[in-house]
Amino acid sequence: MAEPRLIGGYLSELSAQLPAPIVAELADGLDQTYQHYLDQGLGPDAATRAALAEFGEPHIIVAAFTRASPARRAARRLLMTGPIVGACWAAALTVNRAWAWPVPGAARILLGTALITAIGLLAAAAFGKHYRPAGRAAAAGCVGMAALDAAMLIAATLAAPAVIWPVMAAATASLVRITFTTRTLHSVLTG
Amino acid sequence: MGLPYAADCLVGSPRVVLLPMRAEQLRGHLDALLLAALEDGPRHGYAVIEALRRSTGGRLDLPTGTIYPALRRLEQAGLITGSWSVVAGRQRREYRLTPAGKRALSGKRADWRDFATMVSAALEGKPWPSPA
Repeated sequence: MAEPRLIGGYLSELSAQLPAPIVAELADGLDQTYQHYLDQGLGPDAATRAALAEFGEPHIIVAAFTRASPARRAARRLLMTGPIVGACWAAALTVNRAWAWPVPGAARILLGTALITAIGLLAAAAFGKHYRPAGRAAAAGCVGMAALDAAMLIAATLAAPAVIWPVMAAATASLVRITFTTRTLHSVLTG
Repeated sequence: MGLPYAADCLVGSPRVVLLPMRAEQLRGHLDALLLAALEDGPRHGYAVIEALRRSTGGRLDLPTGTIYPALRRLEQAGLITGSWSVVAGRQRREYRLTPAGKRALSGKRADWRDFATMVSAALEGKPWPSPA
């Protein structure tokens, strides 16, 4: 049976904002809701309106999927655990007098800018209401955090005068986060 | 026209009405309701909604489109698992409880019984039941 025009438009609006598998599932549910109202004796137009009203506004559905998305979950986990990893590195750098390391000023500025950007991207993913932008922000934030962790590990390996327990703790925290972001990235991108 | 809300029932209408169960009232309980709807066997999204309607006497007042993200969330949490099939040329996703989902449902049932007993005791002045 041909899909009523209003339902087609509704699904098009969802398709513009949600991944195809999610829209396919919603299309099936919407079709069954429409058939249910036809079976109840409503005409096609009334059944369409009733089905769409029962399903809810597209922006409500998109916001609900965004809240449940892997991107949002990954971003929130990284934001919650970030201060712990940051504290580990702060302790390691302080103990090792990192301000005396032979790291160029431009590299320090680049590192700081990258950190702020990654946090901003993760915050956008954690609190955004739009599915696809949240997914892109989370993916970029994950890559940024993993790159920052890798940079810190390389810097500590090359410049730290001694490998002492604060450095070991910070390196372990970064390795755990790299593993998490690498494993999470796939679900964020395919989400 | 939808069902009347609580305020409509407090102005002297003598009719017995079914109050809709609204989203804010369901907050914190939707996961348990969805898990319970899958307890009898695998169901796809619309069948889950139908089961919820039956089990709540038609009082569930949620945009049904928001049930699907809740199912996705439960799937990501490992409490249910989904699989695709093709029915009448349409892709359909069917969900079933995982062992972790069955355990979670048991826990949520026990929590709910405790909560309901406590609130009933407080509201109706009944004594708190002593443990068996």
